[in-house]
Amino acid sequence: MSLEGKLALVTGGGRGIGRAIALKLASQGADIIIDFFRRRDTAEQTAKDIEALGVKAEVVRANVGDPAKIDEMFDMIGNKFGRLDILISNAASGVGRPIMDIDVKAWEWTMDINARACLLCAQRAAKLMEGRGGKIVSISSLGSRFALPNYTIVGVSKAALEALTRYLAIELAPQGICVNAVAASAVETEALKFYFKEGLVKDNRQATPAGRMVIPEDVADVVAFLCSEEAFMIRGQTIIVDGGTSVGLFALAGKENNEHG
Amino acid sequence: MTIEEQIRDIVAKITRVDKSIITRESTFKEIKADSLDVVQALVAVEETFGIEIPDEEAQQFKNFGDFVSYVENHVTQTEKV
Repeated sequence: MSLEGKLALVTGGGRGIGRAIALKLASQGADIIIDFFRRRDTAEQTAKDIEALGVKAEVVRANVGDPAKIDEMFDMIGNKFGRLDILISNAASGVGRPIMDIDVKAWEWTMDINARACLLCAQRAAKLMEGRGGKIVSISSLGSRFALPNYTIVGVSKAALEALTRYLAIELAPQGICVNAVAASAVETEALKFYFKEGLVKDNRQATPAGRMVIPEDVADVVAFLCSEEAFMIRGQTIIVDGGTSVGLFALAGKENNEHG
Repeated sequence: MTIEEQIRDIVAKITRVDKSIITRESTFKEIKADSLDVVQALVAVEETFGIEIPDEEAQQFKNFGDFVSYVENHVTQTEKV
């Protein structure tokens, strides 16, 4: 699989899963635009690591929850590059609260960043992909279909994201654009450390048939495949990367599932 | 309006507290600002003053006064006038 000569935008590409995706696509020859919001230092470090792979990296700051910032980002991409081949809608945020504590502000903040941003970015990206095909991959989570404590708003936003992915896949297909999603279970990132600290998620190795936690590179490998021509006939799907966790009900099992790891 | 007054207005609007209770010594907890309030206040202040406040700097703010001081130190002379 080669992405030589392709240009990819990874929203939230400075750290965590986004960083792993950016590095993976770069390792296959793509030039990368990294969008970040709160952490310039990690975005610039990721850009350096990408350039060390022999491709170009550009850093752009945009809060994708703000439509005006999305427009500014795509105006820059249009003016500077005039094209785009790959959009990874990865940037995410969220407010972890019990249902009775959810207010409109927390709901809108999360939905705007996690779901609406993918629509607005895809609309702008599709224009830059005109006549070139293109790949769009959104990053979801298992919370879209399974309930986790205090995860309601994020889970609902990810469900919306997955539904949006299906609609985009159909409507952008005539332009030769492939759209899919990747949903992971708890991935070992800085964000997960926060969830551990808050007691919202526990180490789930024992409930993972594959025997270890999902790492960002596991997600990045699947994203890279979905960006390849080999995945041309996969459309509107949400590919789950969880080491098998969601296939069974291991929480109900009488003994630890994972005895090989 | 001074930088401090402008930031106080922004924070009061976001946290929906009376701005008279926000002093330089007030912690975000005391003015009932949760993590989302803090991020939204940072973004609003960044846009108002045309500066960028990195998260790693913001995490060092112990109170409202630290927030104000950081902005005062990073706003250009032109913008202060």
